[in-house]
Amino acid sequence: MKKARSNKAQAQQQSNGTSHSKLARYLDPNSSWDKDKLLDTLHWIRQALGLSCGLVWGAIPLVGAIWIILFLAISTGVVYWVYSQRLKIDEEEFGGHGALLQEGLFASFTLFLLGWILVYSLVHF
Amino acid sequence: MAFSLKYADALAVVSISFVTALLCEAISWLLIYRTSSYKSLRQSIDRASKKLDSLKSPSNKSTPNSKKLDRVETSLKESSRDLSLAKFKSGGVVAGVLIVVFGLLNSMFEGKVVAKLPFEPIPLVRKMSHRGLPGTDWTDCSMVFLYMLCSISIRTNLQKFLGFAPPRAAASAGLFPMPDQKIN
Repeated sequence: MKKARSNKAQAQQQSNGTSHSKLARYLDPNSSWDKDKLLDTLHWIRQALGLSCGLVWGAIPLVGAIWIILFLAISTGVVYWVYSQRLKIDEEEFGGHGALLQEGLFASFTLFLLGWILVYSLVHF
Repeated sequence: MAFSLKYADALAVVSISFVTALLCEAISWLLIYRTSSYKSLRQSIDRASKKLDSLKSPSNKSTPNSKKLDRVETSLKESSRDLSLAKFKSGGVVAGVLIVVFGLLNSMFEGKVVAKLPFEPIPLVRKMSHRGLPGTDWTDCSMVFLYMLCSISIRTNLQKFLGFAPPRAAASAGLFPMPDQKIN
């Protein structure tokens, strides 16, 4: 029984380790980046930011168009930090700042609005 | 955090949008994505795009041959155009489904406030966000606006997640590529 529990704990530790290592791989400055992989990573980072900001701001709630501008600033700032500081990417090799910063922007903006509107409507009325 | 039912219609709109997006991707997969012509076009676009990137890359020490660059660019544009045409033909079915679903949603939620906006939209956006709604409370949200947000966010991410998103090189080339200025 004790052996089964320790095996289960070991397996769980391994799977947690695997998911952490997957996340770490996407933010690892030493891993090799091709254009598609980098742009996909930035896309999903933007979507995660859009969804989480929308849900949190709807729950608090934060009201007013100023929060849209703030979201865009935060989202752009985080993406810029990820590719320039964390991954230390030379943006010229991947199409310049414009190409990297606009990846996934519109989809994440609509996702942010959707989350914000939904949570705000459902929780506060 | 308690959820109220006052704007429960919003959940219905989101659910229907999600199911519609799944259905549209399933139809697209059946008619377009699983065909061998689509797969080979995608592969040739990816190959040409990678070749073009490596030829144009600042880290490429040798000066790229202008004729070779033109050849690769032309091949990319032609494949992108063929890809767009292939999707265009089968896209009519997807468009039909979207029209039917939109008509259904319109009949269900016309004149109803489905959600509340946490901001006051600019006049241009109000035309969509307040469409068909009575009164002048601009924070009332109509089905049309919510459906548009759902369509864009859910469909884009679903396509990306399932690997059906169009290749980036094809997206920039477009259905009607501009004539090469060097030739003119």
